[in-house]
Amino acid sequence: MIVAEELCCDWRRVQVLQPDLDPKFGEQLTGGSGSVRDSYQNLRKAGAAAREMLIAAAAAQWNVPRSECRAESSFITHTSTQRKLAYEKLIAAASKLQPPADPPLKNPSEFTLIGKPTRRSDTKLKITGTADFGLDTRVPGMLFASVERSPVYGGTPRRFNADEVKAAPHVRTVIEVKSAHLTHQFGDTSGPGSRNYTCAGVAVVADSTWAAMQARKLLKVEWNEPPSASESTASLREEMLRLASEPAAVIRSDGDFEKSHAAAATKIEAVYEVPFLAHATMEPVNCTAHVRGDSCELWAPTQVPGAAADSVASALGIPRERVKVHVTFIGGGFGRRLIQDYAVEAALVSRDAGAPVQVVWSREDDIRHDFYRPAAVHVLHAGLDAQGQLVSWRHRGSSPSIDNFYNGTGISPQSAAQVESLDFPALFVPNFRLEFAVAESVMPLGYWRSVSASGNQFVLSSFFDEAAHAAGRDPLEFLLAAFGPARKIPVGDGQPLDVGRRRAVVELVAEKSHWHEALTAARGRGIAVGFGWGSYVAHVAEVTCDAKQGTLRVDRVVCAIDCGIAVNPLGVKAQMESAINFGLAQTLKSAITVSGGRVDQSNFHDYEVLRMNDAPPVIEVHIAPSAEPPGGCGEPGVPPVAPAVANAIFAATRMRIRRLPIRAADLRSA
Amino acid sequence: MAISFTLNGKAQSVDVSPDMPLLWVLRDTLNMTGTKFGCGMALCGACTVHINGEATRSCITAISSVAGKKVTTIEGLSADGSHPVQQAWMEEDVPQCGYCQSGQIMSAVALLTKKPSPTDADIDDAMSGNICRCGTYQRIRKAIHRAASIKGGKAKSAV
Repeated sequence: MIVAEELCCDWRRVQVLQPDLDPKFGEQLTGGSGSVRDSYQNLRKAGAAAREMLIAAAAAQWNVPRSECRAESSFITHTSTQRKLAYEKLIAAASKLQPPADPPLKNPSEFTLIGKPTRRSDTKLKITGTADFGLDTRVPGMLFASVERSPVYGGTPRRFNADEVKAAPHVRTVIEVKSAHLTHQFGDTSGPGSRNYTCAGVAVVADSTWAAMQARKLLKVEWNEPPSASESTASLREEMLRLASEPAAVIRSDGDFEKSHAAAATKIEAVYEVPFLAHATMEPVNCTAHVRGDSCELWAPTQVPGAAADSVASALGIPRERVKVHVTFIGGGFGRRLIQDYAVEAALVSRDAGAPVQVVWSREDDIRHDFYRPAAVHVLHAGLDAQGQLVSWRHRGSSPSIDNFYNGTGISPQSAAQVESLDFPALFVPNFRLEFAVAESVMPLGYWRSVSASGNQFVLSSFFDEAAHAAGRDPLEFLLAAFGPARKIPVGDGQPLDVGRRRAVVELVAEKSHWHEALTAARGRGIAVGFGWGSYVAHVAEVTCDAKQGTLRVDRVVCAIDCGIAVNPLGVKAQMESAINFGLAQTLKSAITVSGGRVDQSNFHDYEVLRMNDAPPVIEVHIAPSAEPPGGCGEPGVPPVAPAVANAIFAATRMRIRRLPIRAADLRSA
Repeated sequence: MAISFTLNGKAQSVDVSPDMPLLWVLRDTLNMTGTKFGCGMALCGACTVHINGEATRSCITAISSVAGKKVTTIEGLSADGSHPVQQAWMEEDVPQCGYCQSGQIMSAVALLTKKPSPTDADIDDAMSGNICRCGTYQRIRKAIHRAASIKGGKAKSAV
């Protein structure tokens, strides 16, 4: 839409194609809610440059000044004579021209496509079963593999019964897959202590997926396990609680927390905790690879094909240019497909099998061998003065560190920290202290839709709600009072913090949710905010609780978002609906637990996600009008979901939720 | 031993292990990849097909049990995406990643065959076995109601 806007295309004639990995496109990455916000200006320039070249080609053909020609609806028109030339007739000539370095961009008031609710272009493929996802890759002569991986990350196979398994029907070979280093998608900065590698295992290669999976059941592997294999959810929790109860690395300190807190009229404290989470994309992890000599061809459902090429080249010891990556549709990413372990594994299996191979992860493999959103424990203290103003706030967090996992232990405490120094209420409480301690864990870690904010915002918006109630104030009023007047607060080198935009989304969600209208007994409303990725989000959740039964129903979620210019408002709404349902899954359902360094869960019966019967009857999305540059939309809707629900539960029942997911016991009144 | 059944209206015969699930016969033997693998335990609904008109999880359905029966997959619903449920999916702009949608659509079609005008509660009952991680549930509800209208001849044109 962005290219077509500046290129003045007839949208009905536009086709959207997925390119393979190609250096001419620069960085190809779907992540960090960056697809629109990072490419907006570049795509506009690209579209405008092509438009100017088409105009120049038409002007040359008609031998008229360029200023007499204009582009519209996939045609160039000579205005005075009304002569017209279709773009396709001009492409050959235009492509020989030098692209202008600084083509004129449209004034946003001239936009006809950007800002217009527009349906997706790939729906027909997806409703007819003809969209090719990674698993749908079919290559002549291909084999299928199923891999038994070390149940503890970092383990290696000591011994296995290859011969017995090879004798099973339709089995071609059995291969040990050695652990290989991965290239980090955000630049390879791995230092000492980095644990960024594929999980070692044993691959069973067969004629069909089914045959590979069946034969794998015959496999008996003895594993060498790392010493850290004693970890359990309880032992890690105890360690995180200990760390978060002691002074730790200071990430931010404003004013004097100790002094002001000692003098506070009212004090509150709480411990919050969140579990490890798996991504559980609907398309199980997979990749098809064909290694031939010193080259490799990949058919990869990946969010970052460049990292797939880097990692595979390094694992095979071949030049990166010799790795060709076909990017397929991906059946959900949510950050899982930023980590290219599965591409490396497929390449190693193909190399040793001497054939094109599709490695298919079972759902059990996917749940047990993910790169998990870290579990965390947070200990918070806050103080209010006699007027009910928030004067002191101390937040000590502890969790395993994603940044240590990828980059090693040599990075700064600030880099290792899984908390953000600018997250609200930082800058809005005069005496504020944020500390973080890294907890050691055997678990592999990764980027889960909204990363650390997914858990941190539950903590922050919930504890802020606790402060509002301690002050005897309405949570909405308390929030707006803490923000203060609309203004811009300079913060270091980054964009100034825009209090006006924060206030506006909160006021919008309050209005649309009818915040001040009373609800019947056992029902409640909660508000929470999330600011990041260039966007501003506020949710109000409405719930009905039955404290006797310990049941909860989320009746309605109202969302207000200011994402700058909403390039496709229909897409923004879809992302917010998606984020709300994704956030509800972690609020109500999902947790990964660990025993003996192994993941306890295995499939959707014990790693539960949101289903239709749990999905709120009503989700409303309200987009604040804005002329600011586009912000991200994939992630910022996720973090405020859990606290909005938890705060609504408190409003309904006076029961405070301090851990996720919400359990029936947490809802039952004593 | 060859196993024969009707696939999307045509006679089909496959020579595979009798315990091989229909899902893998479709995907790996017949290269019909519209039916998706999601969990292998009938927990997510991505593999839903119709067997004699009933919504069935093909990942746990042994091919031997399909002998002589009529199997319909997403590919057999319409040649061009024109089935009323597919049309409603288009109009409500339902899919995001799209991976679960073959299964969602097959479950929805089976529901509408039994209940031409389902309530939200009927939809929750019939569709809760189909997981969508992108969270398109609210749009699926709307699309099922819309499909019911289209089938009932009460369709309003798309917004």
